Amino acid sequence: MLTPTKERPVAILGGGIAGLTAACHLRHHGVPFVLFEGSPAIAGLMKSDRDEEGFTYDSGVHFLTNRLAAAVGISKLCRPMHRYGETVYVRGKMFSYPLGLMLSPRYLGSAIQAKFSGIAKKSAQTAREHYCKSYGRSLAEEIALPLTEAWSGFNGDEIASSVGQKFTTSLPRMLMLRTAAKMTNRVIGIGYATAITESTNSWHVYPEGGVANVCHAQASKVKDSILLNTKVTDIFVKNNRVVSVKAGNQEIPVSAVISTAPVHALAGIVRGTDKLDYLKRFKYRAMIFVNLKIEGASGLTDVVTWVPEERYRFFRVSDIGLGLPWLVPEGKAQITCDIGCSVGDDYWNSSDEQLIELCKAEMEMIVPGFANRCFGGRVVRVPLAYPIYKLEYEQDRCRFQKGTEINGLISVGRNGEFSHILMEDVFWRTRWKVSQLLNYARSEV
Amino acid sequence: MNFELSSEVYFLLSPQFSPYMQLEPALCTNCGVDDCIPVAVGEDFEYATTDLDFMAVKCRRCSLVYLNPRPDSQSIADAYPSHYHAFQFKKKGFGFIYQVRERLEAKRLMKWCRHLPENARVLDFGCGDGFHIDILKRYGKRTWNVEGIDCDPRAVAGGKLRGLTIHQGWIEEVPLPENEYDFILMIMTIEHLSDPAQSLQKVCSLLRPGGRVVIVTDNTHSPDFWIFGNRHWGGYHFPRHLYLFDRKNLDLICRKSGLTTISIKTAVSPVNWTYSIRNWIQDWKGPKWLSEFFSLESPIALAAFTLLDIPLNWFGLGAILHAVAERVTDDPEEQKC
Repeated sequence: MLTPTKERPVAILGGGIAGLTAACHLRHHGVPFVLFEGSPAIAGLMKSDRDEEGFTYDSGVHFLTNRLAAAVGISKLCRPMHRYGETVYVRGKMFSYPLGLMLSPRYLGSAIQAKFSGIAKKSAQTAREHYCKSYGRSLAEEIALPLTEAWSGFNGDEIASSVGQKFTTSLPRMLMLRTAAKMTNRVIGIGYATAITESTNSWHVYPEGGVANVCHAQASKVKDSILLNTKVTDIFVKNNRVVSVKAGNQEIPVSAVISTAPVHALAGIVRGTDKLDYLKRFKYRAMIFVNLKIEGASGLTDVVTWVPEERYRFFRVSDIGLGLPWLVPEGKAQITCDIGCSVGDDYWNSSDEQLIELCKAEMEMIVPGFANRCFGGRVVRVPLAYPIYKLEYEQDRCRFQKGTEINGLISVGRNGEFSHILMEDVFWRTRWKVSQLLNYARSEV
Repeated sequence: MNFELSSEVYFLLSPQFSPYMQLEPALCTNCGVDDCIPVAVGEDFEYATTDLDFMAVKCRRCSLVYLNPRPDSQSIADAYPSHYHAFQFKKKGFGFIYQVRERLEAKRLMKWCRHLPENARVLDFGCGDGFHIDILKRYGKRTWNVEGIDCDPRAVAGGKLRGLTIHQGWIEEVPLPENEYDFILMIMTIEHLSDPAQSLQKVCSLLRPGGRVVIVTDNTHSPDFWIFGNRHWGGYHFPRHLYLFDRKNLDLICRKSGLTTISIKTAVSPVNWTYSIRNWIQDWKGPKWLSEFFSLESPIALAAFTLLDIPLNWFGLGAILHAVAERVTDDPEEQKC
């Protein structure tokens, strides 16, 4: 990386949490930068909106901890969650996740069989093999695989086993964290951060007014260096080193580029090298979030309900008001149905009204009487929501995790790292990558 | 640019909403960069001066623990209420505990001061209300010239009432004579400083060649930190302790400041154990009578944790660190690592 100066700043592509975290970190170290955001607003996947009735619309479920809130300096904005739980709705019954499932003789029996049958010792290549080995055939075939297939759009034999390896918490540790949660009446994070250690003292909180306020608080510190409505169309590389970017039809010399762009898009704008061409075949799944407004309670038992059966179009339903009552008007409830799809397919092209009616009718099958209490909703479409870990490019994905192999170019964030990381991981991993980049700059001086 | 901070965020983060405790990002004082991992989130358990949460992080390069973000220089004074213990550690309030601590501290101080000449000039940096100056005056040689410095006017006023010589202000700004002091004390001071490396350089310049500084501070390489370090550890003292050391990074900062480390040892202290247990009980909504039992006014709790810390100290794992460092050469710049 070249030494950053005012004439040759660091370019940051994207104004979501990763881009803004990088910006704040550079500002803290006195490094000149410009943040380019192609859209008219910051926050990226963390955009949120509020309607006149007081319902809040975020792009899917976000997990924010007191630890991240303190790191960003917004603990004052956040309230602790007092309720969080996950349930699986299958064969007409609600099973709490994961303990309720394990108490079912059907799933417990198959898990025990897998443990002692020798399959557990075999290495798994595909998602199907991984789930069968880890959870037993019944749970894998009835729950884990249908869910993976619903959000990824591919069957379990086409997805790499790494998709299931993100939850590393052991059972005793999970029980300890859950006990502490009961004792302290806090929602202790389990399985939502892998870059840093989970502890009984890290619990879920959520900001007033929606999750975008995390980004707004960060942006307030660096707003003099944010350019909205300015898309970077080219990144020029010479001798395997980033030298300039083209933004708004103007070529700007830069010392480094921190990209939060989806990796296939990044590969498409890098000029002067074909090193990133292998990223062009990486795929992301689109997601539709259908928010429904309800009079009274939703009838769901937990904040998140997983719905693996194929007859339902959505695979996950979140009752926002159960966990975050201040985001919903009093006496009302709001649920979000998540539908995995591809940009341009039938679901993507359906009208908002059609999607709302579809989800209403299917929710009626889970909670009788639901449709009568539902009075409308809003649909949020996210074209790039989940990186798909396809087996065909798994080796390339592992290669990309080590870096871009171009001097002065790093790729950060959920889309930028092509990784199923959540907010807290995005925040810390971005800081570490930027620190490493700065270190290179110093050593080159 | 059409980016605007939402009115709600603006209100909640504005000085009007929180008239004190504006936060600023911090750097590792040893490495000069902020490359850290999160260690703890906590709040002001002891004095409840703010309802903000604070984060302690660990430098990935030198393992120094520091508060990040932290109250800015304008806000930090608000974290010290008028009843802060260092301003009001009096015989009247603490009785038997005051007497025991006074004896122990006197013994410890005289051990460090036994080689001082007749006309020694001694400075207690971060002297609070002058507890240690008073001990030096009473137990030390009458010919010693003992003075103190503290930035808090309430502490200085308390010390002056006792007839002690105390300068008020930051050590970098108060015009103290350079190359003059034989001995400088920093007892539970370094962790409160916003830039300890810079302050230690100043300390080094105030010492005459051969002069020594004693630094006493909380130890992060100790079982009390390992057990309570991810939230309730008493040594965090959120948000007043800005930098927290172990043996290695305390040695590093001394060397970086131009000092030569003579010794760094751990010592027995029940304070962090007591505070940690109390913070934990309070935070987990335990009974009030139980949390109040674990206080600095409770001889039983202090005695029990002293007994616990004694064997730990045999293995170099005591709750606090004692460092003795010396200015060797005339030019401290020569000596910097």
